[in-house]
Amino acid sequence: MKRQYLILLLVAGLLTFFSACKKEVHYNALIITGQNNHNWKASNPILKQLLEQTGLFSADIIITPEKGGDMITFDPDFSKYDLIVLDYNGDSWTEETNTAFLEFVSNGGGVVVYHAADNSFPDWEEYNKIIGLGGWGNRNEKSGPYVYYRGNEIVRDDTSKGIGGTHGPRSDYIVKTRNFEHPITKGLPVNWFQGNDELYSLLRGPAENMEILATSFSATRRPGQAAEAAAPAQGFRRIREGRDEPVLMTITYGKGRIFHTVLGHADEGGGPAMESVGFIVTFQRGAEWAVSGKVTQEVPFDFPSASGVVLRPDFKVITLDDAMANIGSYEIEKSTKNFTFLRSYIRKIADDEKALLNVEKKMVDVLKNNEVTVDSKKLLLRELSWMGSDYSIAAIKELISNNDLKDEAGFALARLQPSK
Amino acid sequence: MSEKTSRRNFVKRSAAAVAGAIVLPQIIPSTALGMGGKLPPSDRIVFGLIGTGSQGMSDLRDFHRLDNQVQFVALCDVDSNRLSTAKETVDKAYKNQDCRTYGDYRELLEKETLDAMLIAIPDHWHGIIYSSVANKKINVYGEKPICRTIKDGQTIVSAVKNNGITWQTGSWQRSQAHFHRGSELVRNGRVGKIKYIEVGLPDGGRGIGTPPVKEVPAELNWDMWLGPALKVPFRGVSHWDWRWMLDYSGGQLTDWSGHHIDIANWGADLEHTGPVEISGTGVYPAEGIYDAPFEYDFLCKYANGIEMRVANASRFPLGMGTTWYGDLGWIHVDRGNKLTASDPKLLEGEIGENEIHLYMSDNHYQNFIDCVRSGKETIAPIEAGYRAISVGLLGEIAMTTGQTIRWDPDKEEIIGNLRASKLLSRPYRQPWTLPTV
Repeated sequence: MKRQYLILLLVAGLLTFFSACKKEVHYNALIITGQNNHNWKASNPILKQLLEQTGLFSADIIITPEKGGDMITFDPDFSKYDLIVLDYNGDSWTEETNTAFLEFVSNGGGVVVYHAADNSFPDWEEYNKIIGLGGWGNRNEKSGPYVYYRGNEIVRDDTSKGIGGTHGPRSDYIVKTRNFEHPITKGLPVNWFQGNDELYSLLRGPAENMEILATSFSATRRPGQAAEAAAPAQGFRRIREGRDEPVLMTITYGKGRIFHTVLGHADEGGGPAMESVGFIVTFQRGAEWAVSGKVTQEVPFDFPSASGVVLRPDFKVITLDDAMANIGSYEIEKSTKNFTFLRSYIRKIADDEKALLNVEKKMVDVLKNNEVTVDSKKLLLRELSWMGSDYSIAAIKELISNNDLKDEAGFALARLQPSK
Repeated sequence: MSEKTSRRNFVKRSAAAVAGAIVLPQIIPSTALGMGGKLPPSDRIVFGLIGTGSQGMSDLRDFHRLDNQVQFVALCDVDSNRLSTAKETVDKAYKNQDCRTYGDYRELLEKETLDAMLIAIPDHWHGIIYSSVANKKINVYGEKPICRTIKDGQTIVSAVKNNGITWQTGSWQRSQAHFHRGSELVRNGRVGKIKYIEVGLPDGGRGIGTPPVKEVPAELNWDMWLGPALKVPFRGVSHWDWRWMLDYSGGQLTDWSGHHIDIANWGADLEHTGPVEISGTGVYPAEGIYDAPFEYDFLCKYANGIEMRVANASRFPLGMGTTWYGDLGWIHVDRGNKLTASDPKLLEGEIGENEIHLYMSDNHYQNFIDCVRSGKETIAPIEAGYRAISVGLLGEIAMTTGQTIRWDPDKEEIIGNLRASKLLSRPYRQPWTLPTV
């Protein structure tokens, strides 16, 4: 090895060592794409970004020949990888590639089945065991049972005749977590919004060794139509007749672990379904579980609830520095996300006095800044009222004479100096 | 104690009537008998109502179902449209135009002489208005939850006790046979020694994002609606939906603490105490005007070893309601007449003569009227209501701070956590203050 290269390696190693917030890259991932009835050119770089953002993966992308192309040239070396992400719905691969893929999985390789990848290969029996459930491509009762929830009961033996796979018009819809013990979904809310996505319904397949982690409700009369879209005026009173279709699943195949997500329909640049935090986070957690059987990533502050869709524009993760740099521009009709971040951050460091004081100082800096908005100071004063210390008092007292802020400053002081 | 007070009220009213010195007419005119009443008008309980929203009017209808035992003479609301609709309803019931209306409860309290007040207003107003009405020695039917903060609650409890008034919390589940039965079975050890309680409350509602600032509608006195809460611009959210915002409520959790936690306490005999340790997590909306937790999951430990887990219902196999687990099995109660057990035999058999018999009421509103007349304690007295919501409020503090909270249920203090202690109260916007009691 050349000396220069060694030094580079050393520097890189040191950087990794000292970069406390970046986790070491452990796993190699391969994203397979190139044919899809979806915008694969938009989705594959985003999937790569999302994997690498976790700090756990480095990801390669392999693009198959175009439809009708010679598949002999598609001959990935699966042995170099820990995880295969399937963003592919297209022509059959060669027998050799199929065999190599099955070997990879049965020997313990991880797989993420993403959105329309469960449309692919309707006639490849082993592939269908890997995805558990699939749709379209003339799938029907011969493909396997429908599997879904009816109320709180899972139905695994519905072998009734009918198509496999449909979806209604895209809409925001609620995903319901079904398994709170599984590493992927542990700590998630029960109900959370996915933004403007397709709700896959009537999927069918062998469903062997398959667990459902989350479902979404689809109306019987219009399968694949989310109740939230069908009857927005009814609010929580959902259309009664219907079933809860699986949207997040895990499957085991040999020693391999598979995470199957039907979420994340791609638009140019990603779009709301991919930018939905629920999709992003479950994809990232699912990928980690598929390679390791565990999940070390925390559930982030911006994970959605039933309160509404939460997007991550440009897939950017907020850090404390970002939040504190942008919090001062808050105005009452704008996003409250930086404050939600701050509150969640305070909770996370609640037992660490030093870290709390550090955040308090940053908050006081914003309070003292004449450039920042009154609205942001108002919200900061509410937080400081309980988590602040003597450090804040002088800065808050300054604001008592400010007509726009005297109520909030008084509110904070009343808590920080209860004798007054 | 409260018997005397209640009599005193009646006496005061009759004396005033005899002397002809009352500010406003208190004798219910004989035309009121036209509605087929059995009681002479002077025997009716004279009521005021503060808060003419959906819950206030629903309670009013329930009082009206009691065969003319009550007469509402004064209504108060900060929304003049609601107020005039409510007056129409009341006047129609009495076939007259006599019901008086107020936009400010202070004026109502100054001008009216009442036996009882029905109060159904947002939680952030409870501290001031419940205590002020109690200080006027007016008996109160007050909606749950008792208070927005522990400090508000302590003030209200003192006001009710010091003034010796009759108080009924709107925790009407206590007056339903199956909730009573379930609680009584548990209190008598039918599940054995209670180890663990699950309380399932509703999931959060639906968010509305970040609505724009709007002009305050002419009928709404927004400044008065906000009252002691911090001044914020009007964004089209006030009535009913206040419950999703922390300035006014703690979300579904605190809204429902007065129901299923109240029943849990009743069955487990925890009505006069509180947990010693509380920890848990909430799911807070990442975006938007609603900031109360949409989901919540916290565990309370009691000095006697009982643990109570409170969470949104979807987290529990039995869903909504209260489940007591003991060493002999479990009993579950919920609305819709639901009373089930791990073994149906647990639900059989009479409660013996020498066993504990819980207070019995088959009508929550009649029970209040009866107690106003007799001075006896109601089925949902103030302390029970306060102890129920204090569990929810302590859970809220644990979720807000992200810490395990230690609580002294006798001194009603948080132990060794200055920050969390600050969340026991919410400072009031000037000029509002909690009344002295």
